Amino acid sequence: MIKRLLAPLFILALATTFSSCEKDDICALTTETTPRLLMEFFNSAIPSDNKNVTDLQIAATGETSAITYNNASKILVPLKTTEDTVEFNLTIFASSEDPAVRNVDRLVFNYARNEVYISRACGYKIDFLLNQGNGIVLSDPDGSQWIKSIRVVQPTIITENTTHVKVFF
Amino acid sequence: MSRYFFSVIAIFSFACVFAQAPKKDSVTINVKQNRYGLRVGTDLYKIARSIYDKDYQGLEIVGDYRIAKNYYVAAEMGNEKITVDDDRLNFTTSGTFIKGGFDYNAYENWLDMENMVYIGARYGFSTMSQTLNSYKIYNRNSYFAEQPPVDVSEKYSGLTAQWLEIVVGTKAKVINNFYLGLSVSVKKLVTNNKPENFDNLYIPGFNRTYNGDFGVGFNYTVSYFLPLYKSKAKVVKKIAK
Repeated sequence: MIKRLLAPLFILALATTFSSCEKDDICALTTETTPRLLMEFFNSAIPSDNKNVTDLQIAATGETSAITYNNASKILVPLKTTEDTVEFNLTIFASSEDPAVRNVDRLVFNYARNEVYISRACGYKIDFLLNQGNGIVLSDPDGSQWIKSIRVVQPTIITENTTHVKVFF
Repeated sequence: MSRYFFSVIAIFSFACVFAQAPKKDSVTINVKQNRYGLRVGTDLYKIARSIYDKDYQGLEIVGDYRIAKNYYVAAEMGNEKITVDDDRLNFTTSGTFIKGGFDYNAYENWLDMENMVYIGARYGFSTMSQTLNSYKIYNRNSYFAEQPPVDVSEKYSGLTAQWLEIVVGTKAKVINNFYLGLSVSVKKLVTNNKPENFDNLYIPGFNRTYNGDFGVGFNYTVSYFLPLYKSKAKVVKKIAK
């Protein structure tokens, strides 16, 4: 009689052991967390063609570090999860010694934030929604503007798989 | 020393022979009585944890009633309040639960022993509230400094969950009508009424949820048996050859 119960007891003990190190304790790398804004660059002369940016440095106002992209047509811009706005300076040919070659344009992103529950291990993430009228405001601090125009194609930022903003230059 | 030890064993083995000798040619009648009644108790673990763990308060009353030789109707009810401080979330679960089902005693008792080694099934129901105290925003990109935990104290009330569980355990009579019991259980959620934009990560009576709907638990109980009636004495005749 007891022998018959040994098997289920053993299985139960095993299940208890395994369940204590279940995968829901660690936030898996495949889990979609707070997304960044995906910006894609196009040729302003031929708007259907991608154009690579050369030596692009992006830095948020108030931050000391910058993110650098070279020969890329797609870049990821992190948005602030603590504020509804963030200002970025986009410097093209950033490592050039010649200040005439370096060119800074400024983008201000205005958006709404939405906290979304993911799981026990990952906690919450933030989804963003770019504002209708002033989602992205372009300005030029150094007198020469390299960005010709900007178009928001997907104002809802919940993944990093789709292009949110098209930049023509 | 060993010679002395052996002689002691030798004396005892003779004693055993003498003790068994008078049994020959006698008739032994074993009267087996089955007592029926209500057994009520409490989970000692929940009481103990309420004392040493400042983030936990819980009480569980357990009971079973013998309906047939090997079958018992069993139920548990109680309440729990727990604050869980996970890596990315801090929340408080508070609620009441009730479980009902049956136990099958697979242990063949000798004479008037009343022990149990059982397997059972339960249906569980819990009504609870979840309070999200604080959370962290998961951001794999570390360009901006990591955001400190967000304090919210958001309370979600009127939540319910139902589940099924399989219990395996044992109950042993220690003195008179007092029993000590130990059981382990595996549980699977059937319905889970989750809060909006949060989850039932702990459910009273179900414990922590694993992979969303799986749970484990254990009970360490002390209970008192209230005998109500005895079954007809079953007479077993044994005639020694």
